[in-house]
Amino acid sequence: MALNALELIYKRLRERPQELVEARANGAKVVGFQAYNLPEEVIYALGLIPVRLGSGGDGDLVEVGGRYISTKNCVYVRSTVGLFAENTDPYIVNSDIVAFDATCLQTFRTAEVVQYYFNREVIILGVPRNFYLQEAHTYFAAELRHFVSRLEAISGVTLTRERLADSIALYNGIRDAIVRIYPYQATKNPAISWEQVFDVIQAGYVLDRREYLGLLESLLAELVQQRGAPVIGGEDDEARIFISGSTIPPGDKKLISIMQELGGRIVGDDLWSGLIPYVDVQIEDATLEALASAYLNRTPHGALPYLELATDRRIKRLKELITTFKANGVIYHTLRYCDPYTFKAKETKDILEKEGIPLLELHTEYAGSDFEAIRTRVEAFVEMVKLRAESEEAA
Amino acid sequence: MGTNESHLFRYPEAIKEEFLAGADIVLRDGTRVAPAEIWAYLTEEGPAKYPHIYDQSNYFGRRISGDVGLSYALKANYLLMTMNDRISRAKARGVPVVFVQGGQSVDPYYAAGAIGLRPASTGIWARRKETGLSRNEEDLRGQKRRQKAYNEISIEVCNSAGYEHIQDGLAVDMIAPFSCLRCSDVSYGLEAHRHGQRQDVKLLLIDYPLDHQRDKEWAITYFADNLRRLTRSIDELTGRTTTADDLSAEIKLHNEGRRLAVEIADLWWSAPVPPTNGKDRRDIFQMGGMEVHADPTASLSVLREARDLIAKRVETGVHGLGVATDASRIFICGSCVSPNEYRVEQAGGIIVGNDNHWSDITTIVEETGDPYYNLAKAILSYPYEQPIKERARWTAEQIKKSRADGVLFLYKWGCNTQSAAARMIVDEIKAQTGLPTLIIEDDMQRSQTEQMHNRISAFIEML
Repeated sequence: MALNALELIYKRLRERPQELVEARANGAKVVGFQAYNLPEEVIYALGLIPVRLGSGGDGDLVEVGGRYISTKNCVYVRSTVGLFAENTDPYIVNSDIVAFDATCLQTFRTAEVVQYYFNREVIILGVPRNFYLQEAHTYFAAELRHFVSRLEAISGVTLTRERLADSIALYNGIRDAIVRIYPYQATKNPAISWEQVFDVIQAGYVLDRREYLGLLESLLAELVQQRGAPVIGGEDDEARIFISGSTIPPGDKKLISIMQELGGRIVGDDLWSGLIPYVDVQIEDATLEALASAYLNRTPHGALPYLELATDRRIKRLKELITTFKANGVIYHTLRYCDPYTFKAKETKDILEKEGIPLLELHTEYAGSDFEAIRTRVEAFVEMVKLRAESEEAA
Repeated sequence: MGTNESHLFRYPEAIKEEFLAGADIVLRDGTRVAPAEIWAYLTEEGPAKYPHIYDQSNYFGRRISGDVGLSYALKANYLLMTMNDRISRAKARGVPVVFVQGGQSVDPYYAAGAIGLRPASTGIWARRKETGLSRNEEDLRGQKRRQKAYNEISIEVCNSAGYEHIQDGLAVDMIAPFSCLRCSDVSYGLEAHRHGQRQDVKLLLIDYPLDHQRDKEWAITYFADNLRRLTRSIDELTGRTTTADDLSAEIKLHNEGRRLAVEIADLWWSAPVPPTNGKDRRDIFQMGGMEVHADPTASLSVLREARDLIAKRVETGVHGLGVATDASRIFICGSCVSPNEYRVEQAGGIIVGNDNHWSDITTIVEETGDPYYNLAKAILSYPYEQPIKERARWTAEQIKKSRADGVLFLYKWGCNTQSAAARMIVDEIKAQTGLPTLIIEDDMQRSQTEQMHNRISAFIEML
């Protein structure tokens, strides 16, 4: 049965670029951003329009970006620079200000390139690498205050407690809705696929956030109406694949389409372009200090090093999600030169091996030259996972 | 392949008398090493233990320069060759060894009573544990070891940062690098140790804030807190308490080294024809970082001697051995890459300066007030770590001071952050100096060395 809210989300996505043009013509300002630990709440609270920038899957953009940054940067970064160089993407064109955070050093360099070569007004939010220390929270709160002061100057609006509280409530609603919608894709004969949920999540990068929350609530209501509470599970011989590793931004469909073609069913992810940013955000108060701490207390991004394996929340969360979504294999997707995740591939494989969970690392980029190589590896992996599932069932 | 003795360097007896009349090296533990002892080591014990160091192959960029009138260079060689002996003695006295990375100064490590070693020095220490190897044998062992790091971490590690040595049991007690914009591998390389065989090494990251960090009080305070955490962590190894006075004293010592290096650079650059070759220049300039010998006190005594010697050479017009009077002067930007200076000179050029490991040396730390705050502020002010235009402005100043004719930006394969900055930096330098520039990529496995030298030769020819 069709999901009306899903269709509406796709429709509203198509209409959004023109809407932004009109909003800007009426005096609104758009903050395009690319970041992992930037609390979007502050942008929205100041009456600015937040739009997450970046796309993947286009080898030509990667080449264009490589002229300005380098071929030793990950394809996502190069693609982002390519977007600014081309300056035809509606979200790039319509960004009045561009914000980045310093979670990933390559993103920081992207900010420098965008500022230097494309004369964009750029704001950067510093992010501590020792994110688990109290002094790091103090530093990050000060960085956030500085970041907000620059946005206040641009918007002409002062961030009040009320404005921030309203925005936090809105974003809490979005996070809550996504977390509740997400399990439906992992059920038997699902009404919505993981790929569709992934699209829904990424629609939230650009749609008006209040409207987006309404759309999410409608989608959730339809899912509840059609299926009741989600019961996670599937066929006995199913290859239920969990995706981990580097970001898979909008437009990067290579791995996803190969998986679909070969009968591997994606049932979960801990991607920063997927579920993970929405999972464990606990904002204790409507203050910048509380917001800063809440963001640092989330499951950390791979670019933030954590030195004790036994207490690493990223690993802990990965294991929990694999269990929750009843995955029986992990594809660890790494983009070439994405050090934050590539450096952790072997470690993650070793850890999951101890849990009896097979992991396949796929090291790739946006060019199509490795399509068949990836297809062959995924095919073998899916077959192996299915055989294991069958033999476990038989046992 | 065994060592071919005919290709090994020998210090000539003709310089012995003058060398013996020179100054002692003073070590950090107060020991004095007399020139006679150094001479005996360099001419008898050294060649037997480490024949590869005496190899004179054209392809060996770290070979002894042969400019034997530079007495300080002999002493620096002695210190590098005795690295294992001296560190082993210090460790026997309870001095911990802490791995450092990120390009920052080592003042706080020594203030806390540790030996701070960067990746290159860690490698030297590890290699000094094996004796009697020819250059080929030594080289092959190094390559084999490095593969361990690539296998354990990632093939995209540009610099294994001593991972293989530490995980193989090199007696490093703590790994405590600085995160920085300079290198993205630092944080992940540190993190990789948590999954290694060795679990007895303490891990700590000194978190370097980014984006106009020197202008933000909260960033300086945060970084100072990180430095305090560093000295406290070393204290847990030593059982002592590092005081602010300890750090102040260390800063003064390191400031003297930094000032001497800058003074030497100004002298060197002022000479119409360089007073040393490129390799000897790099060795003295980098000594100002006070890290290369695993003993800042020893480095200081060598630097003092070097300053006097370079001043004398400049005054009397003595040229560096093998340096052409009309050599094209090349300034190098970027990280972790040093071409074979001898081959640059054979091609008609000479390397006159680097930005890497120089911006930290040119930054003098304020000596009055809270030493943690002062050190934090200084480190956050390193020009190399500043926004592109500021870094380029400082680099252009150094290029002008060095009277360079051309600029190369070199980076290693897999280096995400220097490669990302390369084009911006050279475009800005070109705009500010009008000099020709070239960006070249190299790799740690040396598979591109010849390509790099071909390109450098062509660049020099163009100049």
